[in-house]
Amino acid sequence: MPRGWWTRRANYFWYIVREFTSLPLAVWLLRFLVEVQRAQSGPKGYAPHSSTAFVIFSVICLGFALYHSITFLSLAGVILHFKVLDRPIPSRLVVLSQFGAWAAISAVIAFVLIYFAR
Amino acid sequence: MNEHSTKKRPAFDHLFFWFMFAQGGVIAALLIPVHILVQGILGPLGIVPVVDRHYDTWISILGNPLVKLYILVLIAFPFFHFAHRLRYLLVDLGVPAAKSLPAQAVFYGGAVVISLITIWLLLTTAPLSL
Repeated sequence: MPRGWWTRRANYFWYIVREFTSLPLAVWLLRFLVEVQRAQSGPKGYAPHSSTAFVIFSVICLGFALYHSITFLSLAGVILHFKVLDRPIPSRLVVLSQFGAWAAISAVIAFVLIYFAR
Repeated sequence: MNEHSTKKRPAFDHLFFWFMFAQGGVIAALLIPVHILVQGILGPLGIVPVVDRHYDTWISILGNPLVKLYILVLIAFPFFHFAHRLRYLLVDLGVPAAKSLPAQAVFYGGAVVISLITIWLLLTTAPLSL
C-alpha cells in the first residue's frame, strides 16, 4: 500500500485513529499503576497525580477512550447473534444492551470510587 | 506426507491471543472511560471526592482482594488488546517488521511483563483485608 494511504479517505483515517486509541489508553493505565505503586511510600510519601498537565492529558485520553468504547460496542450487533424462541434478536437491540451495560457498569464504578473516598 | 504429519491440532496459542484481544477490547470499552473521568478529571479538579486522593482511603481499598483482582483484570486484559492493535497499527502504517516473530515477542511479551508487574505491585502494596 502507498505511504499515507490512510489520509486519503475519512473512513481510513478514523480506522487508524481507532487503532491508535490503544497508545494513550495504555499510557493512562500505566499512570494508574504508578498511583498503586506510590501507595507503597506510606502516608507521608503518597501524592496522587494532580497537575493541570495530568488533567489535560486525561481529557485527551477520555476522548480516545470514548471513541474506542463507541466503536467497539457498536460492533456487537455485527458479531453477536442471539435467538429467543427461535427468532433472532435484532442487532440494534444487541447494541443497545451493550451500551446499557456500559452505562450501568460505569455508574457502579463511579459510585465505588466516590463512596469509599468518604 | 504421512497421516501423522497432516493431523490437525487445535491452535491453542491462536485461541489464547484472540480471547485476550477480544476480552481486552470489551474490558477497555466498559471500564476505562469512567476511571479516566473520575480519577483523571473530576478527582484532581476537586469536583468529587475520589478514593485515590488520600492515602488512607486508597490503601484501604487496595487491600480488598476483590479490588486487587479487579485492578489486575483492568490492566492485564486491555494490555493484550493494546499490544495486538499497536502491532497491527505499525503494519498498516507500512512497517512490515511488526509482523515478525521478534516484534510479536516484544508486543505480547510486553503485555505479559505489565501483567506480572501488576500482580507484583498488588501483592506487595497493601496487605489483604476484608
